[in-house]
Amino acid sequence: MQLEHFNYDNKIVRNFAVATIVWGLVGMSVGLLVAVQLIWPEMNFLTQYTTFGRVRPVHTNAVIFAFVGNGIFMGVYYSMQRVLKTRMFSDVLSKIHFWGWQLIIVAAATTLPLGLTTSHEYAEMEWPIDIAIAVIWVTFGINMFGTIIKRRERHMYVAVWFYIATFVTVAVLHIVNSIQLPVGLWKSIYVYAGVQDALVQWWYGHNAVAFFLTTPYLGMMYYFLPKMANRPVYSYKLSILHFWSLIFIYIWAGPHHLLYTSLPGWVQSLGVVFSIMLIAPSWGGMVNGLLTLRGAWDKVRTEPMLKFMVVALTAYGMATFEGPMLSLKQVNAIAHFTDWIVAHVHVGALGWNGFMTFAILYYLIPKIYKTPLYSKKLANTHFWIGTLGILFYAIPMYWAAVVQGLMWKEFTPEGVLKYPNFLATTLEILPMHMMRAIGGALYLAGVIMMTYNLIKTMKAGKLVADEPAEAPAMEVVVVKEPTHRRLERKPMLFMVLALIAILIGGIVEMIPTFTISSNIPKIASVKPYTALELQGRDLYIREGCVNCHTQTIRPFRSETARYGEYSKAGEFVYDHPFLWGSKRTGPDLHRIGGKYPNKWHFDHMLDPTITSPGSIMPAYPWLIDQQLDNSMLQAKMKGMRTVGVPYSQEEIDNALADADKQAATIAKDLKDNQVTIESDREIIALIAYLQRLGTDIKAEKKTEATPSGQE
Amino acid sequence: MFKQLTNLNGDEMYLITSLWIFLVFFVLVACMLFWMKKDHIDYMKDIPFDDDEKQNDQQSE
Repeated sequence: MQLEHFNYDNKIVRNFAVATIVWGLVGMSVGLLVAVQLIWPEMNFLTQYTTFGRVRPVHTNAVIFAFVGNGIFMGVYYSMQRVLKTRMFSDVLSKIHFWGWQLIIVAAATTLPLGLTTSHEYAEMEWPIDIAIAVIWVTFGINMFGTIIKRRERHMYVAVWFYIATFVTVAVLHIVNSIQLPVGLWKSIYVYAGVQDALVQWWYGHNAVAFFLTTPYLGMMYYFLPKMANRPVYSYKLSILHFWSLIFIYIWAGPHHLLYTSLPGWVQSLGVVFSIMLIAPSWGGMVNGLLTLRGAWDKVRTEPMLKFMVVALTAYGMATFEGPMLSLKQVNAIAHFTDWIVAHVHVGALGWNGFMTFAILYYLIPKIYKTPLYSKKLANTHFWIGTLGILFYAIPMYWAAVVQGLMWKEFTPEGVLKYPNFLATTLEILPMHMMRAIGGALYLAGVIMMTYNLIKTMKAGKLVADEPAEAPAMEVVVVKEPTHRRLERKPMLFMVLALIAILIGGIVEMIPTFTISSNIPKIASVKPYTALELQGRDLYIREGCVNCHTQTIRPFRSETARYGEYSKAGEFVYDHPFLWGSKRTGPDLHRIGGKYPNKWHFDHMLDPTITSPGSIMPAYPWLIDQQLDNSMLQAKMKGMRTVGVPYSQEEIDNALADADKQAATIAKDLKDNQVTIESDREIIALIAYLQRLGTDIKAEKKTEATPSGQE
Repeated sequence: MFKQLTNLNGDEMYLITSLWIFLVFFVLVACMLFWMKKDHIDYMKDIPFDDDEKQNDQQSE
């Protein structure tokens, strides 16, 4: 058969590799900053652009979409060309993809510190950036499918199946989670509210972990691990079984992020059941990876990249066992909202994603520069310092979680909370937070070492931008092949089947929750926010308060004793978006309304240590200085009405006057308490919102019925 | 915990159908894997390797 000669595009691989390193350094440095902010609030620097609430999303998005994202594209562009025996479909699309993605990252890194956020976790970017993400993702998809279609290898290797599943699922997740009504250039309103918004968000959030942080990395594992070990994958059959099981089951597990909330119980239970089932396909992947090293363990001693791979797979195994355990209601009751979740996420991010990315960088940079790695010794040092960093990060966080989780729930023999002051539980775990920061610093030090090592490697060699390759042209198939063999050469059919597999779970969980009214019982006394409260809510979103404070009280005695009546689904029907949060660095705020006087809130925002000595919450003095911007108020209320909030035309027409009137009342109350402030300041709107929280049902008589699981 | 699965307000059909789809699909894939030919498995496993890499590997063994 005649051989065809062609070139692999290594330049695009190099570009994504450089972007991976640069954004990795940025994202991890910002991570270290936010870790330090949780020990010393002075590190918030008293400016609004550097406070924890605004910077934490910069860290999460930089690490997920900039570091890991570029790492995915680096690995996909390198491996896909080689397993399909062809150059990428279009160099132009590759460049658009690369530069478009970097622009999106820059746009996110600029807008998030400015407070332009939707508040949906891991999807905080506003609608213009969402559209840009969709366009660039489709560009990537066209380039990927174009490459698959012009391939010279008849069957698609297992790595490519994972890339296809990643592409189609991320597209679905991003679109569904980004359905918003724009009311300004940088302001939009989520179409979903309350419980439904929470379900969509965590269906997205959990599956962003599944299909952005897991499936593409499994695909890369199936290519790079055999190459590094010079051994074929242990079991091709297992790869088929675990691929289809993984993508089908993963999509159901999102509700485990919402256990004991007002999400319908049956959806919570489905999330738990499928989370437990998820152990099997996840461990199938891990076992397949580790057993690929059979007969090659001697190489692990000498090759740092294989060391990184082994720890990456081990971290994957740990995280995918821990996830299902955390989704058991009994474990979740203690662990949720604590640092356990932070530790769990970082075992995956630092161990699985980080270490595999480093392994791939150590593998492919010398390959595309046709030179040996500058220093294996330095790479080994990176491995050990990085491993130590993960341990220093995770172990204190587990410790902190158990300590704080149990403190929250402890009662005295007299039957009252032993630690009624939330702050006491926060201060108890500060030493563990310090150790966590040391762990992060060690990990970052390792990445700096790797950067130096790779720069020296690049300088010693020369990039082979167009690497020559040859392969026979693909023959036209005339024989009928068995099912999966046929599927392995039909990319579009493969994509459709993968799409069906991932849609089933989402449809089953969402459609009844959205369409059956008994799932979200209405409460007559719950009314829409007033104009001023709505403005205050947007300030709450802008400052990222949701990063540290939840707004959902679980039906436990320890929570109702601390915060008040547990949260009901009907209380959130006008919450576009929901603001339940996922971590309690500070206390829950759902029943904060009316708990303290206005003056308390004023002092607390001016300097939290006035009301709570030792607090690690940053101060927000700019809320007192800055004038409230009401220019979009009516547009926002109209938008809210469009998505179902029953504002009357009169309420919208009188919004400004009503807001002024309510603000004047609060300003007068403050004045009566020795605080003189203009009524048009931002702090007034925030106080109005906080004082409203959870008050709609306070007057209601307690019902007899309690949900299952109540303590 | 599983009691909640029995109170689906008439939506049991969604859940049961989905689980059946998964079970049937899982069994079909398992059967297909059982009867899959070894030469195709070897071919698929070797896709990441170039011919010269495979030769080197065989020589080293």
